[in-house]
Amino acid sequence: MQQTICALATGAGGAVAIVRLSGPQACSLLCQLTRRSAAPEPRKQTLCTIYDGADPLDRCLVTYFQAPHSFTGEDVVEFALHASPYVKGRLLELLCAHGATPAKRGEFSQRAFLNGKMDLVEAQGLCDLIASGNKAAHKLAMDSLDGKLSNRVEEIKKRLSELLAQIEVRLDDVDEEMTPLSDEFIRQEITAVLEHIKALADTFSVGKYIKDGLKTAIVGAPNSGKSSLLNALVGFDRAIVSDQSGTTRDTVEETLEINGQKIILTDTAGIRDHALDPAEKEGMRRSHRAMETADLILFVLDASRPLTPEEQALWQDIRRQNKRTVIVWNKTDLPSARPSLEHEEAYARAEVSCKTGAGFDALKKLLTADLTEAKTADGLMISNLRHYEALLRAQTELESALIRLQAQAGGEIYAEHLRGALRYLQDLIGEVTPDDVLGIIFSKFCMGK
Amino acid sequence: MFVCEEHYDVIVIGGGHAGCEAALAAAKLGAKTLLLTQSLDTVAQMSCNPSIGGIAKGQIVREIDALGGAMGRVTDHAALHYHMLNTGKGPAVHSPRVQCDKKVYQFTFKHFLELQPNLDIMQDEAVKISVSDRAVNGVLTLRNTFYHAKAVVLTTGTFLAGTIHIGTAMFRGGRYNDMPSDGLAKNLREDLHLHMMRFKTGTPMRINARGLDYSKFRLQPSDNPLQPISHFTDGTAQSKRTFLSCYITRTTLETDKILRANFQRSAMYSGHIHGLGPRYCPSVEDKIKKFPDVTSHPLFLEPEGFHTEEFYIQGFSTSMPEDVQRALIKSVPGMEKASITRPGYAIEYDFSDPRDLYASLESKLIPGLFMAGQINGTTGYEEAGGQGLMAGINAALKTQGKEPFVLRRDEAYIGVLIDDLINKGVNEPYRMFTSRAEYRILLRNDNADLRLTPHAFKLGLLDEKYKAPFEKYRALCQKLTQHPNAPVDENETELFPWTVQKARTHADIYQKYAGYYERNKKDAERLAEMDSIKIPEGFDPSAVRGLLFESAQKLAAVKPLTLGQAGRIPGVTPADLQLLAVHIERFRRLKNAKAAR
Repeated sequence: MQQTICALATGAGGAVAIVRLSGPQACSLLCQLTRRSAAPEPRKQTLCTIYDGADPLDRCLVTYFQAPHSFTGEDVVEFALHASPYVKGRLLELLCAHGATPAKRGEFSQRAFLNGKMDLVEAQGLCDLIASGNKAAHKLAMDSLDGKLSNRVEEIKKRLSELLAQIEVRLDDVDEEMTPLSDEFIRQEITAVLEHIKALADTFSVGKYIKDGLKTAIVGAPNSGKSSLLNALVGFDRAIVSDQSGTTRDTVEETLEINGQKIILTDTAGIRDHALDPAEKEGMRRSHRAMETADLILFVLDASRPLTPEEQALWQDIRRQNKRTVIVWNKTDLPSARPSLEHEEAYARAEVSCKTGAGFDALKKLLTADLTEAKTADGLMISNLRHYEALLRAQTELESALIRLQAQAGGEIYAEHLRGALRYLQDLIGEVTPDDVLGIIFSKFCMGK
Repeated sequence: MFVCEEHYDVIVIGGGHAGCEAALAAAKLGAKTLLLTQSLDTVAQMSCNPSIGGIAKGQIVREIDALGGAMGRVTDHAALHYHMLNTGKGPAVHSPRVQCDKKVYQFTFKHFLELQPNLDIMQDEAVKISVSDRAVNGVLTLRNTFYHAKAVVLTTGTFLAGTIHIGTAMFRGGRYNDMPSDGLAKNLREDLHLHMMRFKTGTPMRINARGLDYSKFRLQPSDNPLQPISHFTDGTAQSKRTFLSCYITRTTLETDKILRANFQRSAMYSGHIHGLGPRYCPSVEDKIKKFPDVTSHPLFLEPEGFHTEEFYIQGFSTSMPEDVQRALIKSVPGMEKASITRPGYAIEYDFSDPRDLYASLESKLIPGLFMAGQINGTTGYEEAGGQGLMAGINAALKTQGKEPFVLRRDEAYIGVLIDDLINKGVNEPYRMFTSRAEYRILLRNDNADLRLTPHAFKLGLLDEKYKAPFEKYRALCQKLTQHPNAPVDENETELFPWTVQKARTHADIYQKYAGYYERNKKDAERLAEMDSIKIPEGFDPSAVRGLLFESAQKLAAVKPLTLGQAGRIPGVTPADLQLLAVHIERFRRLKNAKAAR
């Protein structure tokens, strides 16, 4: 039985987003989410309301393509939604919650090819696409080897594998010598792991940023134009703007919506090494904090003059935050002395003039680049729907294990759920095979014949 | 050279637990079969402990039995003590274990072989497997006799270039008192170029029970009521027989002290042994070294037979010198006055990399050559028997031009065993555990017949007389799982050897695991779907562009036959599989286009 896969078919921006669903369950998923009793007429756009529980999520145009007359050759449903990141993200979540899985890179095309909908020439492009996904995933795994995320998942997996080993070794205990594990111990371990997984899942951008808004810290040296940038984005003089450096003593917060994306901008005090008075020091302390709690950092630089040592130091500080960062070269209306910043090519960049408004469209696009694909996330941020989905499924497995524990169902049942959870965590990083668990067993327990 | 005028379909080399099952199975399928063994007096010998079954192993015996193999029936015949393990846990891990009279076991098995039509047995040692046109065509023996064969099943146990160690003493042997197979070892390495490696295993000392102080032991009586290990044994009649007890004692601090003082004299630690041993079932010196915090280890005293005072001491496997072994015995409560009859020893032997095998257990390197048991890197009578049965079946099927018979991971422990071997390879002697089976809930000892007996009937491995009662039993199980309170004729006699009670038990277990059954089945379906995508002949998966380097290497080493098998090779990623799927389809279409032209 083929799985039903879903993914966003359109890029960031635009007024309409398309979510595509393909596979044997496509039709029933459509009916469930739109509360229809039957599929709409094939190949005709139909206006439907998508429900998120009791509440409507969006009114959208739905097209149903009946197998084999579709792109993939399977039953396909396309939702043309309002392009709010929240609506897009939530629909994908709902589809997955009802049994679909997020598509792998190139998977729609793969199915099209396997179902005879694509010729051999086209298939070459498809292979390149899948191969690039392979490399990207591999690179991600390699890159994040010392990253906080993989470490955290590794810790979770380790603790879970150890518990599984403790349970398994008793199931395979030939000598019938081992003292049974107490239910309380198993409960504590599962609960602890569950907390970690929940905490991680909660960082998912769809859940966090899109609902609560993207926290954006504007940082930079005094007088580089941070407040002007905020004002230009917001559209009125919210922050105090003056030519005397160090005017912004407090952090200033402003909520705005760009392309349907809620963004919370924080203007911070200019960071300077030699703060002149205590109030300014307090402002800088807050700036640092704002940077630490931000999801996105806008680093504002004056393109008309060379970099100061303070700016160089601040740049190192920002890079250490390991967060999604956009470098904003301001004052491009003035004669350019555009210096270069170490490793700047690895970051998103925009050149703007707060005075003339030049470059702001490009900057806004950068700010709202599809957040579900945010790549330079903080080590503890889940930014990929597939990863998020894996965490949720692992969570469900562990919750089931707790319920079964309540009923004292037995080690072989808890093991089923723990293995299930471990399997989903594999989607995030690395691999746990039963042999890994046996490895733990052999290293910790003396097994008889 | 004498060339035997008979042309055999299948020749089985080795008469151990793998070889005996292989020979019986091949002959039952109608293949003209010859079993070659060094010594007919040691056919089906229990070289190590006197028990059959155990955790996960008991399930394998039930599977062999359900498929028409002999191990279960011989075990019930030779049984001297029954014990169902793990009864305090869920039914998925209940595992039967049966102590046997070693002599009764081996002679019963020999008798089975003698009675089997289509099967010849001959005492001689194979020294060369003859290959022509890259396929097996016969076997040459030590007596310089040549036998023609279409297929050969190799089951060499610990005999290939076997070396025995007791302390620092070292001598050649395939088992204590038996010659190693050096000619064949050389032939496999140098002429056939198989990828041979070394493993190590060991056995504990045997003692004379005279002088044992039983008051210091914990008694383990035989189960009453008992459950026969074979589906075809009459439980009522079986329980009327006489059974013996086993005893449990423990090592002491004194044992610990003796071992520590003599580490350097153990063959394991003196640097004489290069083969890798198992991490489970370690020698007692291994246990002290690896688990220094455990001050006492359990020892099980198992009778070697009805007509002997010899006991096997499970848990005391060692390769210490004889004087240390004597001291060890005296350090154990109840055994102070016992004497050793045979010292424990370690043995090193050749095995061949199982990744060179297809799932049928046929070699990828030499068509017509099948392998089973320790030569594939496993340990245990049961693991050997399971492989032997499958190799025998597949060797016969091959000579008849039929498709191989392969068990899936969700069908049998035997399927898990072979799938693990051929895809993952081994880095220590492979022993089955229930935790190796991801479909543990489905693979139970109580339902081995429901899972596998239909295959046995289809292949012709089981007596037709069981067909009608089995179908009745199966229908009854189905009825009771759907309607637990459905009316049933309690006195139904045409079910024998199955019973109404057994069907009820099955239905109860099904209820307990209901949700998990469905879940496992669903997973298994996905697996089967991937396995249905065959990797076409001439398609080299490792040459596919865009695969990760490590994956390409592993695919080149294993040469999987299906997409599913490729996915079970450790390290192969989902994206690798996606790529393979596309390339397989591309390959197929290009080939079809060429054919059309």
